[in-house]
Parts: sequence; C-alpha cells; structure tokens
Amino acid sequence: MTLLELKNISVHYGRIQAISDMSFSVEEGEIVSLIGANGAGKTTTMRTISGLLAPSAGSITFAGQDITRMKAHIRVVQGISQAPEGRGIFPGMTVEENLDMGSYGRKDRTKVAEDLERVFDLFPRLKERIKQFGGTMSGGEQQMLAIGRALMSNPKLLLLDEPSMGLAPQFIRQIFKIVTEINNQGTTVLLVEQNANQALARAHRAFVLETGSITHRGTGKELLANPAVKEAYLGVG
Amino acid sequence: MSTTDGPTLIPDDASAQEIADREARMRRRKGWFPGLSDKWNALPRQTQWLILIVVVVIAYLLPILNPPLITTEPGNNWQIALAQMSVYALVAVGLNVVVGYAGLLDLGYVAFFALGSYTAAMFTSPDSPYVHIPYLWTLPLAMAVAMFFGVVLGVPTLRLRGDYLAIVTLGFGEIVRILATIIPAMKGQVGFQNVGHPPGTDSSGQTIFQNSNGTPWYWLTLTIIILVLLAAGNLERSRVGRAWIAIREDEDAAEIMGVPTFKYKVWAFAIGASVGGLSGALFAGQVGFVNNQKFDIATSILFVAAVVMGGTGNKVGAILGGALVAYIPLRFTAIAEFKYLIFGAALVVIMIFRPGGLLPARQSLLAYGRLAYNKLKGALGDIPASGKVVLEPGKGADK
Ligand SMILES: Nc1ncnc2c1ncn2[C@@H]1O[C@H](COP(=O)(O)OP(=O)(O)O)[C@@H](O)[C@H]1O
Ligand SMILES: [Mg+2]
Repeated sequence: MTLLELKNISVHYGRIQAISDMSFSVEEGEIVSLIGANGAGKTTTMRTISGLLAPSAGSITFAGQDITRMKAHIRVVQGISQAPEGRGIFPGMTVEENLDMGSYGRKDRTKVAEDLERVFDLFPRLKERIKQFGGTMSGGEQQMLAIGRALMSNPKLLLLDEPSMGLAPQFIRQIFKIVTEINNQGTTVLLVEQNANQALARAHRAFVLETGSITHRGTGKELLANPAVKEAYLGVG
Repeated sequence: MSTTDGPTLIPDDASAQEIADREARMRRRKGWFPGLSDKWNALPRQTQWLILIVVVVIAYLLPILNPPLITTEPGNNWQIALAQMSVYALVAVGLNVVVGYAGLLDLGYVAFFALGSYTAAMFTSPDSPYVHIPYLWTLPLAMAVAMFFGVVLGVPTLRLRGDYLAIVTLGFGEIVRILATIIPAMKGQVGFQNVGHPPGTDSSGQTIFQNSNGTPWYWLTLTIIILVLLAAGNLERSRVGRAWIAIREDEDAAEIMGVPTFKYKVWAFAIGASVGGLSGALFAGQVGFVNNQKFDIATSILFVAAVVMGGTGNKVGAILGGALVAYIPLRFTAIAEFKYLIFGAALVVIMIFRPGGLLPARQSLLAYGRLAYNKLKGALGDIPASGKVVLEPGKGADK
C-alpha cells in the first residue's frame, strides 16, 4: 500500500525555486533513500513532507488522506515524524525530557511507556544518559536522541535527514544498522543522505535528487550499479 | 532558532564535537552539579515550606524593618521605593512568561503596562468623563484589556520569527504612547490626577491606600506577585509550560513534536500582556497620576533588562531582576541619571560572564561557580584556541 505520495510538488523560498515538479511515493514497510549533493533540495523535501514548509504547487497524500494543507503538528499525530537535519534536539532539556517531548501529542500513556522501552532497547546509551542535558551530548549521542525522540510519536513514517552528518565512522555504521532495525520493526523510513553508499545499500528503493528534480530512480541495488550515479555520488569513476 | 543551519554546535563541527565530548566526559567524571534547584528539590517538604514562609514573612516585613544600608533613605522614601520595586518585579514576572518561557523577544511590553495604567486611570480618575468603577475592579479589567490587545497584536506577528517580532513589538510600544498624546480622550501630558485606590480607612479614619504611603501598595502588590507566581509555577509544570520551553529552545523541532507552536506563542504573549496590564493598573493607583510621559521605549528596554539580568526563564530571578532595576536608581541617587548607562554596562558584563543571567533557568549559582572554575582551569590548560564554545545547560550553544 502506498503510504506517502508526492505529486508534482514545487517549493519556493520567496522567488527562488528549490523543488520543481517532484513526484515520488513511499510504500508501506519500505526504506526509501533520497540522495543528492549539498543544496539539491533534500532538506526542503523533508520539511515539505513534515509540514514545516508549504509547497507552492502539487499535493501530498499520506495514508490515503490529502495532507497538503495540514499543519505540521497535526501531521505528527497522523503518523509522520522527523529527525531533522542538524538533529534539532532541545539542548537545555535532559534526554528524558527530550524523549518526553517526542510523545507530546499522544494520550495513550501505557503505549508511550512501551515505546520508551523500545527506544532504550535500540539506544542503550540513551538510557545510561537519561539525566544528561541534550546540549552536552556528543554528536553521535545527539543523533541517537533525535531518532529516539522521533520514534516516541510511534510514527508510521520516519523521516531521517542526514543522520550520518558530522559523525565518526563507527557511529555512522551504528546509525545505519539501527535504521534497518527500526524498519524491520515495521516503521517505514524515508532517508535523506549524502552518504550514498550506505543509504543505497540499505534502501529498497531510492531516488537521486539534482537541483530540485529527481534525475534517477530505481531499487537501491540498481542505483548502486548505475554508472552515472556511481560517478557522481559514490566516488568511483 | 533554526534547524536548517546544521548542527547545534559552533564554531565548526569537529572542534565543537570535541568540546562537547570533553564536556560530556567531564560531567561523567564529576557526576551532576548539585545545582541550587536540585538542592532545593532534595530538601524535605517541611523544610521547603519553612524556608518559603520565612522568606515571605521577611518580604512582608521589609517596609517596617527598613534595614540600614539597604534602605533607599534618606534620598527616597523606603516604603514607596518598595512599592515601585514590587511593581517592577511583577512586570518582570509577566514579561518572563513571554521572553523567558516562550523565548519571544517583546520589546514593547511597556505598551501593555501603559494600557493597564490608562484603564485604571480612565475608569477611576475624576478627570475622566467616563463611567467610574471601584479601583479594584480595574485590576481584572486592565488584565482583560491588555490581554485583548496582546491577542490582537500577537495573532498577525507571532507567525513571524525572531527579529520581526522584536521590531513589531517595539513599534507597538511607541504607538500606545503616541496615541495617548494625540487622542484627546487620553489627555496627553495633562493626564489623569487622583487615580483611584482600594477602599478602607484605618482606626483614625485615615485612608489606608494613600499615594504617599507605599506600605499598603507594597503589600497588595506583593500578595499579587505571590498569587501570580503560584499560577505561573503551575503553568510551568503543565503541558503548556513544556511546550513553551520547547518553542524557546527550537521552534521547528517543537512543531514537529506535535506542539501547536503558534497557538502557544499567542498564549504566552497574551498571558504576559495581562500581567503587564495588571502591573500598570497597580502602578497607576500607587502613583495616583497617569500621563503619556512614563511609557517610553527606554522603560520597555529596562523591563527586558530586568528579565535578562534575573535569568531568562527563572521566575525568582525575574523578581530579583525587576526589583533591582527599580531599586538601584532609588538607592544610589547620585548615579540615577546614568541608570541606562549602568544597566547597559551591567547587562554586557552579565552576558559575558553569566550568559544565563543571575539565576539561569536550569542552573544555579553553585553550579555556575563550578562551571566557571572548570572553564578557568580549562582556559589555562587544555582548551584549544578556537574553543570558545559555552556549553550551558538551559542555554544551548546554537544561539
Ligand atoms: N531558508 C532558505 N531560504 C532561501 N533559500 C533556501 C533556504 N533553505 C534552503 N534554500 C535553498 O534551497 C536549495 C535546497 O536546499 P536544501 O533543501 O537545504 O538542500 P540539501 O538539504 O539537499 O542540502 C538550496 O539552493 C538552498 O540554498
Ligand atoms: Mg540538507
């Protein structure tokens, strides 16, 4: 079943067009990767899906419902959750309080407690650091916190914007492994990355974004083998 | 305030990362700083109550104690000084909801204060041709009027971010003053004399709430501050309070956690405005005279200075900051003329050494002392030249 569908989406910053006529969909249960260079429009796409930006044209459908005009804070309740670029954790809140904010829109407190356990299973480090302020954690820990917090809304669709950015290699491997794990537990994932190798290897399907338009699409394996993609994004000639 | 500008650490990711890591290690080694608020929370309930009661009793006794050295006399009447300090403290408590909790820079707060003053004056002063009502009724009325204008101003502007809000509120602060000058009904510089006061006479038949007697006004305002503090404390701990803090720390992140950020910003703005109106009405009653001269932008900036000095987001700090801003020029009359210069310099100094204010939201004096000590030790030892990142819990490093 199609969980998310973008149809002919355009996004502008003032007069500047960041996304032009973009269409793609995400099926339930998939990991879909969106790769592209700096400034290609990946973050813009994510913020448009989560509702922080309004598209200037096109429509977005989520779980069969048109959400193009829906407010961001309501999309969370509908099942779209985002770990934003740059992690966006609350620096002055503790790990516990950050995670608590993740379940802000929820009323089913017993389910929330279960989800907290699930997050701690995925990221035992967060449990050890429960009283630490978000702002004093290392980059890798902050990324874990950002993903954990996003999971606290029990999303149908998890949006991850460059989770590997600025992290040490061992953290990057760990984060990607956990992304697959989250997907195995039943959450659909839309992953944005510059780290194309890992992102394509773990994706069911993937898209290449260049200056606001999708230029290549296929399964993760197909794109990994595509010569043009290889040359531009995988650092081999 | 943005999530789009990369990680939360400056200057560059690698060195910032290194500092964050070291900071995290340091915390792990030393355990948690036993902050004042932590210490306070660790105290048994009875002890907390005891301390609170002692503090409150001393606060009520201040006009009678008239403590030497601290007193503003002979330059200024101590009881009236206390009344003014308490009004400023209330102003700071209200503005703290806007600036401190929700992180909205309101540079026109004086406008709500003015609205409250004019509400009290126009409904009680014999100079006013309108309906007259008992003074105490003007207090809730002033709150309602200020809140109404808070919503009217907030709804269009709170969709904007950061700088725009500061500019619009700055403009609004001026508008109310200018309207008071040009609208005949508001009587410009002539103003309103004999603003009302609460009823009551003492045993000798004298009016209790006289303009020349600060004590009853101080007691009234102090009581209101305590009530507002109780309400603010409840708000702070509620879902709304958590939402405000999230908005202050990162508005986009708050929104994608499911916080209706716009609605809660309007709430913060309106609640803050109503407390501003309330303080204005108290001020008008105590002084007994309202005209267009008392509500300039400088006063507005002074209000913000009070909140920032006290420690943005900390209500006890706000009270101290507000009281201090009123107290210093009254106590040190020789330098009163230079008060803006002095507060400006004090702000710069505080922002350099205590970016969180005198009593920061989450940190305590004690914790600060240790942090400063560690920083100093670090500065002499192993902090790299580029590493001027300040990692203060409750403040973040991305501002
Ligand atoms: N707030 C903004 N205002 C104006 N232009 C922006 C803004 N944010 C991003 N852009 C522009 O939109 C384009 C896409 O940016 P972005 O979505 O952040 O790319 P990516 O995440 O792929 O690096 C870039 O050209 C960028 O300069
Ligand atoms: Mg990006």
